[in-house]
Amino acid sequence: MVLEKRLKPIWITPLVIALAVASIVVLVVDGVGASPSLIASIHIGGFGEVDYYASQPMPNVPPGLLVRVFLINGSVIEPVDAFIDVYANAPNGIVHVSMGYSTTLIVPFSNVNWQYVINKWVLLGVSSSEYETSMLIFITYVRGNESWILPLVIPYNVAWAIKNPRYIVVNAFINVNSIKPSEVIPAMPGTTAVNLQLPSNHSDYTAYNCDLSAPKPPPETAFKPEITCLGFNGSLPATWVTLSNGVIQNDEGLQFELNIYFSGTINWDAMAAGYGDIGTSYSANENWVLSSPTYTIGSQITQPGSLYWYYENATWAIVNYTVWFVNSSMGTYHLGNATVFEVLYVPPNDHYIGMVLDYGNGSVSLLYYLASRHYLGYPSSIVNYAAFIYTGQEYLYQCNGLVINASTPSGTVYVYVMLPGGVETAYGLSPAQLSTTLISLSLGSGGLGMPPSQTSASVTSTYIEIGGITEGVNLYVSVVNVSGVYGLPTYVFILNATNYYGNPTSVTCKYGKVARIG
Amino acid sequence: MAIKSLFWFFVGFVLVSFASSLWLLLSSVLTVMPIPLPYWLLYTPGNIVTAGIIVASLMLALYAYLGVALVLNKMHRGFIPITMVIAFTIGITLLLVRQAIPALVILVIAYVILIGTYAVLISVTTSRASKALWGVATIILALMPPILIGGGLTVINYIRYMALVEQATAIMASAIEAWRLGTHNP
Repeated sequence: MVLEKRLKPIWITPLVIALAVASIVVLVVDGVGASPSLIASIHIGGFGEVDYYASQPMPNVPPGLLVRVFLINGSVIEPVDAFIDVYANAPNGIVHVSMGYSTTLIVPFSNVNWQYVINKWVLLGVSSSEYETSMLIFITYVRGNESWILPLVIPYNVAWAIKNPRYIVVNAFINVNSIKPSEVIPAMPGTTAVNLQLPSNHSDYTAYNCDLSAPKPPPETAFKPEITCLGFNGSLPATWVTLSNGVIQNDEGLQFELNIYFSGTINWDAMAAGYGDIGTSYSANENWVLSSPTYTIGSQITQPGSLYWYYENATWAIVNYTVWFVNSSMGTYHLGNATVFEVLYVPPNDHYIGMVLDYGNGSVSLLYYLASRHYLGYPSSIVNYAAFIYTGQEYLYQCNGLVINASTPSGTVYVYVMLPGGVETAYGLSPAQLSTTLISLSLGSGGLGMPPSQTSASVTSTYIEIGGITEGVNLYVSVVNVSGVYGLPTYVFILNATNYYGNPTSVTCKYGKVARIG
Repeated sequence: MAIKSLFWFFVGFVLVSFASSLWLLLSSVLTVMPIPLPYWLLYTPGNIVTAGIIVASLMLALYAYLGVALVLNKMHRGFIPITMVIAFTIGITLLLVRQAIPALVILVIAYVILIGTYAVLISVTTSRASKALWGVATIILALMPPILIGGGLTVINYIRYMALVEQATAIMASAIEAWRLGTHNP
């Protein structure tokens, strides 16, 4: 009994009551939405994490964008000072919004330059629920004679700047072990600016300077960023089929149709040379099912080139970012540069879609050109191969099992359908979400595992139907996932007569070897 | 019959709840403020899960203590919280090794035994107010899963409110019982 009394000092009971009351106050604050609650979170590769919080506006902390920079060195992760430079994507270009040298940078929605961009989006007259745009951020960290530049693209909804305020928190990770550093070298600004050369003969798009001047220039710092923004306005490819010279020469009479089925929210991701995917630059609701007419090689198509579905009146950009350090006593240094390819705007409905042939001067040729000049600098990712070979007897070879024989013989012509693409569905509660929700409800562990209250379902399919396979036909089809190359959410087809695209000596299939069927 | 050692269960229940809700508030508010913070303090999904696992472990330790204390006092109903702790531990472990379906089955069983544990708490608490509050918490606890399964994501916000009320009720019930056991010492 004496021990029990000693263990229960006189103050513990009032303390327990006080803590209980305090806990209930905190729960009420949380329940009425006065404290920020996490509503969505996205990871951008290993480079960053974006968390979105809904909350009543906090005192002295206006809603908007907050960038935090962390240095990752081995297993250590710590806040670090870096030069943070923020741009806002407008429908037709980019606008410099804010910059600073710190571990954190806050950019409120009320920022004059950001409001200027928001207004450009509002003037489009498209409902804010139909699309999301993004901010473009460059973070430069300097240590000794090395520097690291990290480009990130942060999606957001313009409605958040007008009503329903959100706190967008970006945790950027400068991983000095995995991101390639640049050498800090003495140089004058402008000496290494990239001058992007475009094909002189082009149609279907116009090129222009998309570095839009902000109403209020950001303050001067020792860091001098320089932007080259090359904008393109016109036909943004939705999917395409490319035919080599060999196919035109050898496979006369071959017929094909190119079809697309997109439904739901479609994301266009930004790509940076050397980094890959750096976040979704634009997303919109798209809903359509379209089939092309039947094209016959030799009659409708007479030259090597591409046939493509496009979004009319879309804009996209190549942004080259270079940063210098200018100091009166130390001199001027070039810290590094980064190149970003991003889609700025795509009309959000099916009134602006069409199909066109590109014999070397269209938008598909431009994409190939940019990839060949290493402005995108990312390898193509072939997801499937198929071959049709007819030497008196017909053979069909397939790789990943995505080729299906879709119809019964129609005369002497067979039709094959290649059906890659994906279905992304997120609705209802998964067993894992239900489990974590149960733990959260029963053991009072905060917001652990509470699922988001949003649902979405999207479908993207592209497929090609090939017919007119007669004796002498040799056709090699390579299916490329171009989201890994250009950030465009689609699959495209490259048709060759002698081998698969890139002339592989052996074909690597995800699920096995090339199998002969039929 | 009052079991004096249960005092520490109720004190622990309030302390863990307070620490958890304080972390929730501090972390979420500080995260949106433009001040440098260590990464572990940020209100990110990864950190929320880590905090959730810590809170769940502490709660399970408390329930294990409750069960053992009851059994040592010759109250066999103490096996109910002990079984629940074992079930939750197995369920969480299965979840961590990504066995979602078996984890869900075990966790549903654990949840049902948790309702039983609340009933045990009603039976061992000594004050009438505490009994009533545990009773309300038990009813809310029992209602939440059928509503969630019936309504899906459309009712998730109501479920959140119900969970908050349930937590607040359980905290008050514990505080009142701790006060009772702490001040009515022979």
